[in-house]
Amino acid sequence: MTVASQVKQTLASLKGIHAGLQQLALTSQDETAQRTFHEAMLATEEIIADIKDRIGRLEFEEPQYHGK
Amino acid sequence: MPIWLETAIRSICILIGLFVITRILGKKQLSKLSFFEYIVGITVGDIAGTMSVDLGISLQEGITSILIWSLFPVAVARLSLRNKKFRDFVEGNSTVFIKNGKILEENLKREKYTVDELLEQLRKKDVFRVADVEFAVLEPNGDLNVLLKREKQPLTVGDVFPNPPREKEPQTVIMDGMILDEPLATMGLGRGWLKEQLDKQGVAIENVFLAQVDSYGQLTIDLYDDKIQIAEPQEKKLLLAAMKKVQADLELYALQTNSEEAKALYERNAAEMAELVQKVEPLLRN
Repeated sequence: MTVASQVKQTLASLKGIHAGLQQLALTSQDETAQRTFHEAMLATEEIIADIKDRIGRLEFEEPQYHGK
Repeated sequence: MPIWLETAIRSICILIGLFVITRILGKKQLSKLSFFEYIVGITVGDIAGTMSVDLGISLQEGITSILIWSLFPVAVARLSLRNKKFRDFVEGNSTVFIKNGKILEENLKREKYTVDELLEQLRKKDVFRVADVEFAVLEPNGDLNVLLKREKQPLTVGDVFPNPPREKEPQTVIMDGMILDEPLATMGLGRGWLKEQLDKQGVAIENVFLAQVDSYGQLTIDLYDDKIQIAEPQEKKLLLAAMKKVQADLELYALQTNSEEAKALYERNAAEMAELVQKVEPLLRN
């Protein structure tokens, strides 16, 4: 497995985590819990953006693995 | 009119009357009867019993007496709700038996309590050493309540985790195979969501005896068929595991990469993820 595809897998997990946190933020009844989940969700968004950026660069550096 | 018929009519009327009276007296009577209320209750019952059997007593006399006996406590309760002094007079004051870890002998004597009785009451509260008690008070209804010294108090969640995640009461959403819409709505959920969750666990609604939703939106169910195994909800644990895995992955990439810039990016995000895990772990653990 190339580095790019590994990082892509991590990106996918991150998106899953983002969705899970979002769901918990919506279904939790306690306000502090809601807020914690929401903040965590926003933080994962930043990480996702960073990783996406990195993937773009990796594909640029290793064009043979583009889109795999 | 035959005697048995009169007795029957009287008894039924008095039964209904007593039922109404107990309703008026309210729930408080059950939980903490003062000695006075106890006596009143017995007397009312006695009058009612005599009235229904003894045909020599005229109904007028009986009803007057029963009304006075039962409405007087109601009046007293009303008055004592308003007036603190009157309340102290009617219900009595509490007496402190142990203060700052020392037994107050004067107060014991005033309440005609022997040391043996005090020890017995303490043992009822699982206290066998008087030295463990910081404060003990005899309530007006005869209960002894005990505050243990700080080091002898049982451990609470707050002692171990300074800010434990809060938990609201769970809502029962399925009972006897029927969906209860109102609790579902209070959780902000609908029948569609419930269907989806049940499908995920692979059970039909008709087979569900009881289902509850906890304050994090997790569904726990009990089936009619106890042989079927259902898994505990895993979403939160899986989410936590996924977060930890991503954090580990990011750290791994930081070690593997040759580019300084990428290393910095991975390290920063790994640190952020670790912080996140720490923040949500208490909420996701159970």
